[in-house]
Amino acid sequence: MKSLKFFVVFTVLALLFTACAPKATPTAVPVATEAAVATEAPAAVDEVPAVCGTDPFGCAVFAPGDVIKIGMGAPLTGGDASFGLDISQGAAVAAKDAGTFNGVTFELVAEDDGGTPEGGAAVANKFAADQAVVAVAGHIYSGASAAAMPIYEGVGVPMLSPSASNPPLTEQGSKVFNRIVFTDQTSADITAKYLYDKLGVKKLALIHDGQDYGKGLAELVGASFAALGGEVVVEEAITPKETDFTAVLSVIASKKPDAIFFGGYTSEGSIVANQMKSTGLENAVFFGCDGTFGAEFLTRTGANGEGAFAVSLTPLDTPAKVAFDAAYESAYGKKPGELSPYTWNGYDSTAALIDRVKALAVVNAVGKVFVPRGALVDAVRGLKDFVGISGTYTCDAKGECNANGPLFMVIKDGAWVPAP
Amino acid sequence: MNESGPLPVAQKGDKHRKRVRIIKLLRPALGVVVLLFILFRMYQVLVVQHEFGPDTWTRLLISGLIIGAVYALIAIGYTLVYGILFMINFAHGEVMMFGAYAGLFTFQAFGAIKISSVPPTSFLNAYPVIAIILAFLIGMSISATLGYFLEKIAYRPLRKAPRLVPLISAIGASIFLQNAAQLLFSPQLRDVTNPEILKRGEGWKILINGSNVVISYTGVFTFVLSVLLLIGLYIIVRKTKLGRAMRAVALDKNTAALMGIDVNRTISRTFIISGALAGAAGVMWGLHNGLVYYFVGFIPGIKAFTAAVLGGIGNLPGAMVGGLFLGIIESMGPAALGIDFQLKDVLAFVILIIVLTFRPSGLLGEVLAEEKV
Amino acid sequence: MKTLIRQAVRTGITFGIVNIFFVLVGFNMLLGILFAKLSGIKQPGAVPAPQFLIIYTLLIGLWAGLSSVSKKDELVFGKKVLLSGVTGLTTGVLTGLLNTVLAFLLINKINARDFLTVLSFDFIKGTLFGLPPLQGILLTVLFFTISSVFGGIVFALLKLKSVQSKWDGLKALIKTSYEKIQVVTHGRNKLLWQIISISLLAVVVVILPLKWGSYWNYVFGTVGLYVILGLGLNIIVGLSGQLVLGYIAFFAIGAYTMALLNSPVPHNLMWGFWPALVLGVVLAALAGLLLGLPLMRLRGDYLAIVTLGFGEIIRILLKSDILTKFTGGPRGIQKISGPTLFGKPFASDIDFMFLIIGGVLLAVFVYSRLQHSRTGRAWLSIREDELVARASGVNTVTYKLLALAIGAAFAGLAGGIYASRNQFTGPDEHALMASINVLSLIIVGGMGNIPGTLLGAFALKGLPEILREFANFRLLAFGALLVFMMLSRPEGLIPSRRPKYQIPKDPDKIDSGKEGKNG
Repeated sequence: MKSLKFFVVFTVLALLFTACAPKATPTAVPVATEAAVATEAPAAVDEVPAVCGTDPFGCAVFAPGDVIKIGMGAPLTGGDASFGLDISQGAAVAAKDAGTFNGVTFELVAEDDGGTPEGGAAVANKFAADQAVVAVAGHIYSGASAAAMPIYEGVGVPMLSPSASNPPLTEQGSKVFNRIVFTDQTSADITAKYLYDKLGVKKLALIHDGQDYGKGLAELVGASFAALGGEVVVEEAITPKETDFTAVLSVIASKKPDAIFFGGYTSEGSIVANQMKSTGLENAVFFGCDGTFGAEFLTRTGANGEGAFAVSLTPLDTPAKVAFDAAYESAYGKKPGELSPYTWNGYDSTAALIDRVKALAVVNAVGKVFVPRGALVDAVRGLKDFVGISGTYTCDAKGECNANGPLFMVIKDGAWVPAP
Repeated sequence: MNESGPLPVAQKGDKHRKRVRIIKLLRPALGVVVLLFILFRMYQVLVVQHEFGPDTWTRLLISGLIIGAVYALIAIGYTLVYGILFMINFAHGEVMMFGAYAGLFTFQAFGAIKISSVPPTSFLNAYPVIAIILAFLIGMSISATLGYFLEKIAYRPLRKAPRLVPLISAIGASIFLQNAAQLLFSPQLRDVTNPEILKRGEGWKILINGSNVVISYTGVFTFVLSVLLLIGLYIIVRKTKLGRAMRAVALDKNTAALMGIDVNRTISRTFIISGALAGAAGVMWGLHNGLVYYFVGFIPGIKAFTAAVLGGIGNLPGAMVGGLFLGIIESMGPAALGIDFQLKDVLAFVILIIVLTFRPSGLLGEVLAEEKV
Repeated sequence: MKTLIRQAVRTGITFGIVNIFFVLVGFNMLLGILFAKLSGIKQPGAVPAPQFLIIYTLLIGLWAGLSSVSKKDELVFGKKVLLSGVTGLTTGVLTGLLNTVLAFLLINKINARDFLTVLSFDFIKGTLFGLPPLQGILLTVLFFTISSVFGGIVFALLKLKSVQSKWDGLKALIKTSYEKIQVVTHGRNKLLWQIISISLLAVVVVILPLKWGSYWNYVFGTVGLYVILGLGLNIIVGLSGQLVLGYIAFFAIGAYTMALLNSPVPHNLMWGFWPALVLGVVLAALAGLLLGLPLMRLRGDYLAIVTLGFGEIIRILLKSDILTKFTGGPRGIQKISGPTLFGKPFASDIDFMFLIIGGVLLAVFVYSRLQHSRTGRAWLSIREDELVARASGVNTVTYKLLALAIGAAFAGLAGGIYASRNQFTGPDEHALMASINVLSLIIVGGMGNIPGTLLGAFALKGLPEILREFANFRLLAFGALLVFMMLSRPEGLIPSRRPKYQIPKDPDKIDSGKEGKNG
């Protein structure tokens, strides 16, 4: 029975590891338990507020000096890393701006979810197991958000995404998912109208990268465009991480489209824009989405990018925005909005979440801060007239809180300028 | 239990033979079905629907040949190593990736050296030919060195081990090199600055059927380079002493040693050459595709290995044929069969399975693949 | 003498290159920060205070010194010191050269970050211990030499007769006590001891999941699933010798069966956990069978690439546009409902842990029975030499297909549980890298045996969670570990022992013949 012996040794080792492993940060107070007994001397009684007993998900408990974590799942490595970094940095500024609250500070914890559903689920499971995470400003990508939603639903962690725009996300009856960005449906409708009316495009080709966001968006644009009377001549998908799309583009060229709508991210979008010129599509317009906006697209395409469109949402210059811009630049050395269009949304969503946490938190006699989770979920859904940099947000019953619509940008003389 | 006389055995044998016959029939039957399907689809697309004009087909063909040439260039390295050591060098793609980075940095450095300011030109554009040659030399040297050390550290001690062990070692080396590149050079995608004369996307324009078909300079360069390197390699293998030594070691290591061939040196040299080829492929990749990052060697590596197997692994012209064949399948296949381009990898692998089912040695290969029964 | 010095220099060069690599990937900074954390001092930013980098340097030097004299027990003390000194000096000189180049960049304010990302000026300053360049370089050389000599001294001391004898005594003591325990537990009360150890294990296995929190349940749950995967792959690769690189495709089949039958989108067929699980297992086994049929004639490496292709085909098809209506496409499938036991939901993390433990026990049981059965022996004979096996009357085709089917079934089981636990599954989860992970797990742990698989799963899936500090370097270490394991211990951490037929001591008394086998 040697294998059994090894098994025993292994289990003992595992036990040892568990004993030495760091314990998880502040434990949640489960539903209907006795109050924690005070370890401090006479006076104050460390009592658990009544709301924690009735809240379906209990409370998160923070002692003075602890950190309340706002989570964020974003692509932090790989080709789309600049997006994730940009938005997480914007959000981090908000966490810093929140200051100290009853001895507790806020921190933005950004984890790499790769922008994929798989990564989103993994990060969600990680956050769900961490009691210090009370809310998530994310996830950034639609695919990841979709996968993470049910997990957060199960533990009562609200989401307020700055950028996940896939329409079905709010159609699933989720109580925790909210977003401050316009949906892809809005974006698609306005894009289709712009293509058809403003640019006079009659024949449209659709390319997407086969991922959740890109595919969803491209199909929506196609549907809207067809509804307006235009013709979608072809729809093709490319594979991300590849670099030679000349074959697909040749096939698309044979259909002679006036414009190509690309649903996806900069890494592939820039290649498509580059290779369009040599596959017979020199005269077609490249129309991207918010995933293809940013400084990286500019540098990647160079001269080939002239006349390419994308979607952004730069807000108006209010004092709050100017202050944020300055803070961001001094902390990270780059202007906000250079790497992705969602820097300001990142700030806003985090600021809104922190605002709700502060409004709901209950401080007991010894200074411990209690955040009732279920109530927080409802509070985020019930966000009303929150003034952010990008606009004033009010969430509807489904979780749509967007305040503004897409802004089209075009590359002119090597720089992004608002499109006419 | 053990008292089976002649009769029961004969009965069992009959049933067995019938079963074997049925299974043996299945294979060609399946093949005929697949072939009919392919022909039917092609007929539909080409004749009935008349989807694409000659300009599109020309473009697809050019695309396929160029992609194929890149695969062939990488596949040559795979097949060279496999022919000698019967081992899949999983880290070959990473060797190519480091060559690509070397090319990237060389071009970047040369682009930064300013020769004159009116008009503002850099070394890269003032002396493009020298810059390109230097880039290739540097890339090939770095990859060759990497190949040498790879063999020395990760493969040589395992030469006598069962087949699985050096394979895992190769996989481990591949993962190590990928992540080393990621840590050293950051996971960001990098753009390669081409010299002006070899600008990406520019090329000769032919007017076919009313639209301009572009035959890109970098594409032609890739193709010509692949062919030249293949010819060069072929000459080395057939005509030089080193080549003879390589062939001898590939045939029978021990006898070659008895004949006075330094087996270790020969194998090292093989890896150096294979590495140099990968380095050239990497620099070429950078010039033609313009994107270099730590993962860039992985997928082309697998595809190139598929190409090498397709053409017959261990067989040099087979690598070229396999590479071109795979490239053409990938670009013309989906169009010809009327399926999504998203499925081109599925198509490639299905064709691989079909080819291997009927001709396990690959298109041009020797019968090394089958169990000898 | 000259050769000794040359060897010492060569060791020094090796360590020098390794250290240069460590510096250029930023490993010295990571270790420095780690040391700082251990000592409790908070470090702002990515560059730790100089003393921790000095500690790093000293440790590397120590290691270099130890290595340079490690196999040379017969030398005199003085020679050992000299050799380790030479090694340290060489390493120091090489690192010093690197530092000189870095200092050059620093002084001339050349930004080389385009080429090597770590080279921020803060980084360079830190590597030079925060001192002016010349002093930093000289100190580097000095530290390496000193610590290396120290390493040599320490090693020499350890090898002194007195220390050695004490060490041998300790080893002997451990050995005798182990043997004593063996005698006691295998003696007359063998059954009693087995009952005790198994019940102890059972208690541990039942109590732990209830106590250690959802995070550890999640981590060790993943480990458990990988154990099942490892055992399944072990049947295919370890026992029957077929190199399959697309194993994760069967996992995908199991996961997607569970997902498609238990989620409102896209089909809203709520069949429930258990039927879906069983169906997933069956479908995976079927897929294994179907995959095997055309591949029977293919040899090792070809089999590898074709199975790799198969894995990729499954993944691409799951993600493709044309099959989106059926498979859910790139979004994957969400809201997969959890299991129910007698009508009550059974889906908390603790319940899943028990479920996974159950699955592991089942897999271990099936594997163990197969391993020691006639089927197992047939597989081993196929693995060793297929031709001879066929000549001996083993129906290789049947057994190879059986191996594929059963191995795939294991993966289907793991996939179904995984999808239900994660409440989600998507096409990119089932990529080539996952197959390679499972393969590495069984090879590193020890191919063909159960404890090896357990250890491999723990090492490759559990440790990274515990060592989360090193997240960036995890894959780097993984790759290096694979190569290292193959070079030093290719049979795995726990090697398989082949079943031996032991000639019974008394030819008239043949017992059940179970002696000498791997238990």
